[in-house]
Amino acid sequence: MADTESIPRKLQSRTIIEAAVLLILLLLPLGSGRLFSDFYIALCLRIMIFGILMLGFDLLAGYCGLVSFGHAMFFGTGAYVAALTWKYFTDSIWIGMLLGLGLNAIIGYVLGLLVVRTRTVYFIFLTFAFSQFFFVTANGWRLIGGTDGLTGIPAPALVPGVSLGERIPFYYFTVAFLLIAYWVARRIVNSHFGRLLRGIHQNEERVNFLGYNSPLLIRRVFLISGLFGSVSGTLMACFQPFVPPDYFHLSMSGEFVMMGLLGGMGTLVGPLMGTAIVIFLGDLLSSWLKEAWMLCLGALYVICILFSPEGLAKIIANISATGFLSRLSGRKGSTINGS
Amino acid sequence: MSFSGFLTNLLYGITIGSAYTLIASGLSIVFGVMGVLNFAHGSFVMLGAYTGLTIMNVTGNFWLSLTLAPLAVALLGGIVERSMVSRLYGKDVPSTLFLTFGLSMVFSNVVLLIWGGSHYSIQLPSYFKGFINLAGMYYPKFRLFVLLFSCALVAVLWLFLSRSRWGLPIRAGLHDLETVEAFGIDIYRVFSVLFIICSGLAAVAGVIIGSMRSINPMMDLDLITVALIVIVIGGLGSFKGALIGSLILGLAEAFGAQAAPGFAKFTTWVIMALVLILRPKGLFSER
Repeated sequence: MADTESIPRKLQSRTIIEAAVLLILLLLPLGSGRLFSDFYIALCLRIMIFGILMLGFDLLAGYCGLVSFGHAMFFGTGAYVAALTWKYFTDSIWIGMLLGLGLNAIIGYVLGLLVVRTRTVYFIFLTFAFSQFFFVTANGWRLIGGTDGLTGIPAPALVPGVSLGERIPFYYFTVAFLLIAYWVARRIVNSHFGRLLRGIHQNEERVNFLGYNSPLLIRRVFLISGLFGSVSGTLMACFQPFVPPDYFHLSMSGEFVMMGLLGGMGTLVGPLMGTAIVIFLGDLLSSWLKEAWMLCLGALYVICILFSPEGLAKIIANISATGFLSRLSGRKGSTINGS
Repeated sequence: MSFSGFLTNLLYGITIGSAYTLIASGLSIVFGVMGVLNFAHGSFVMLGAYTGLTIMNVTGNFWLSLTLAPLAVALLGGIVERSMVSRLYGKDVPSTLFLTFGLSMVFSNVVLLIWGGSHYSIQLPSYFKGFINLAGMYYPKFRLFVLLFSCALVAVLWLFLSRSRWGLPIRAGLHDLETVEAFGIDIYRVFSVLFIICSGLAAVAGVIIGSMRSINPMMDLDLITVALIVIVIGGLGSFKGALIGSLILGLAEAFGAQAAPGFAKFTTWVIMALVLILRPKGLFSER
């Protein structure tokens, strides 16, 4: 293939872009308060926190082709468990995060056994139904705050004495986690396992014919994807010291699907862009248009599905067909060359 | 629970279930024939309720709002089908779900902009107020009307599907679209008619439910959730399944609300999850 020779160059250009984005993220707090207001740091934080979840979402929905309409359950569980830990036991962020990951691993394992029996729309329904369990439970259970949610969550500490309540330390903490999440997701995508996931997306039967156990692979990616959501939820509980039951709501899960589709799934970078667009536009539009902002966002999303179902990453890739992004979103090269 | 209390709950469950049938059967048929999972179906119910409310407030005539609101929503349904949904025919089902999810966002925002966030209820005419004595059991008059009216509409819908000139290609389309087309039937016209009828039915249910309970900007999500559970229980694309699923859900709601008030919705989710686990394609799947 003609593609093969240019891959090192493309890989290089991707590394350059990645490094540039990282540099911007690292330098951003320096300008806060001088060049722009603290508001943008908060905005950027939210994009990064949801970005971590979206990386996991993309592994399941984009690469494996199973769209979850209930990813909010992992996010909410991560947030609730961490918040409860910090409020009642210890203020260590690590313990809160690990407990959240532990519970989500159990949830991901048990629900994985059930959802693996279904595909396409039925998969959507089942994940949607299970996340609704969590929503109803969180709403009805007085012990964890009921409809009011958890309030007055103390700021967790990185190590005893170093609080993450301050914006700037927390910002770098989140950048670190986004980086780790991106690295892990990229490793998974490029691994043998990642190629099998793409194989399941394209033709599950053939993957089974080759001797692989596709249900097991799906359960695995479902669980992994949930763990990304858990970390994201924990960080959110730290960023915003109250956890409402709405974290489990259908509109939350729907927003994740929207972020993925707007950005372009199966590319890792696409969902990150989608997250940035939805959150940035959401804030921008809601300050301009007050209540009508959801209308504009919804309309944008509808237009995107009608006219470019592949998402933004694909559009950009088509514009610069020889550039680095075609390497990111092109299914063509990646399966054959393996990278 | 006393025996008459049990009967009242039973009747209430069936009443609610019959109203749900109006919503769920439309959703199910549209899915079964057209391969479109219309998340905006709940928005059509909500728009029907709000339009009915406005017509009722302006004219004061309940029957006018029960006929005009569905007509208006059916028109909207036709526009949505022609301009957007029709572009996705033949694509995978999830993408139609995602499109209509976006549409439902837009509609719920439009409702919020026009009618605001408060809770309303359609004021019933005086002859629908009060209770009726059914063999010693007092039952609200309007609920009885809802039960009879919904059953009549469902019967008409069933006759339309099983006996009319239009029903044949629709039923055939459930099984094999290509053959239907090969017989020279303009299947896309059938699709449009079907979509229009189903959105109108949803709006009828909206006016009815809006008179029994409150009308609020969250009702679209509530009702589409109910309808989705119903058709998942009954089996996607099955009319019979939608009927039985609605009854199950109505009864679960009526009795569940009494058994565990805080967790009324929990029962419905348990039922859905159980059905999906035991019979992933629902009780009466056609596809």
